[in-house]
Amino acid sequence: MNISPDEIRAQVNKFWDFYSRKSKTEFSEMYLASATVFAIDSRRMELARLMLVRRERELLGPASSVAAKLGPIDVQFLGADLAVASYPVHLSITRVLPGGRIYQSEVPSGRVTQVFQRSLEGIPRILHEHMSSAEPVTVKELPRT
Amino acid sequence: MLSCGEVMESISPEDVRAEVRRYWAILSGKLKDKLEEMYSPAAIVFTGKGKRSEPAKLIAVRRSRQSHGAGYTSRVELDSIEVQIVGPDVAIAAFTYSYHTDKIGADGAQVRLDSLLGRATQIFQRDEAGVLRIVHEHLSATVPPEVQPAAGK
Repeated sequence: MNISPDEIRAQVNKFWDFYSRKSKTEFSEMYLASATVFAIDSRRMELARLMLVRRERELLGPASSVAAKLGPIDVQFLGADLAVASYPVHLSITRVLPGGRIYQSEVPSGRVTQVFQRSLEGIPRILHEHMSSAEPVTVKELPRT
Repeated sequence: MLSCGEVMESISPEDVRAEVRRYWAILSGKLKDKLEEMYSPAAIVFTGKGKRSEPAKLIAVRRSRQSHGAGYTSRVELDSIEVQIVGPDVAIAAFTYSYHTDKIGADGAQVRLDSLLGRATQIFQRDEAGVLRIVHEHLSATVPPEVQPAAGK
């Protein structure tokens, strides 16, 4: 069965729902094993599984939070089992670094590209992701609790 | 153009890398090919500073005008280009790059206008004629975040 726009939009919404609810297992299952990622704050591309370790440590802990307001999601089809989702996003992030420092950042002009490919189980999963900000991001250090 | 019944060759990573290098050679004025022809008619693009994606044809015309403007020179250095072949006719190229723009003044002096480190995702798909074209592009700057220290520090 060909991928549909609604299926891709539903996967994008699930992605942010799992992220903001810190559902670690479901969140990591959004990615294919070979997936690659440009994270919003990294200089280089990395394997999703390495990025997931860092996100889990910094963004999915008890004192961390991620809130996202998504703009309209464009879907481009590249084949029966391949599609690209791209959309703007406003992110509010509280991140706890190793050592306990806490940082808060607002990313009002975030942009996301996610390439989805249907997995062997028939579920569209992320094969490549590029997150960025159209403007420099200001990060505020918060007092430790 | 492929004739009816002709089998399209699968994409090789080197084909994709060659197209990426051609793209940047056009953008930096080293090649006179048309940038808009690198894109599929339906391609969409996130530029380095655009808050929303835009149709590639608009961006290509704007970039060509900038890169071929009198008195401007630009230079790009590409880091290693990672290529994922994700289907018989689709490939994803991802890489980082540095891009420098200089202006040459009336006295001949060269002034550095801009220099940025960027990250790029370019998704290529073969069209009906077998030509690799960009269907989606996401460019972003790698600007480290400005950190404001905690109150009382």
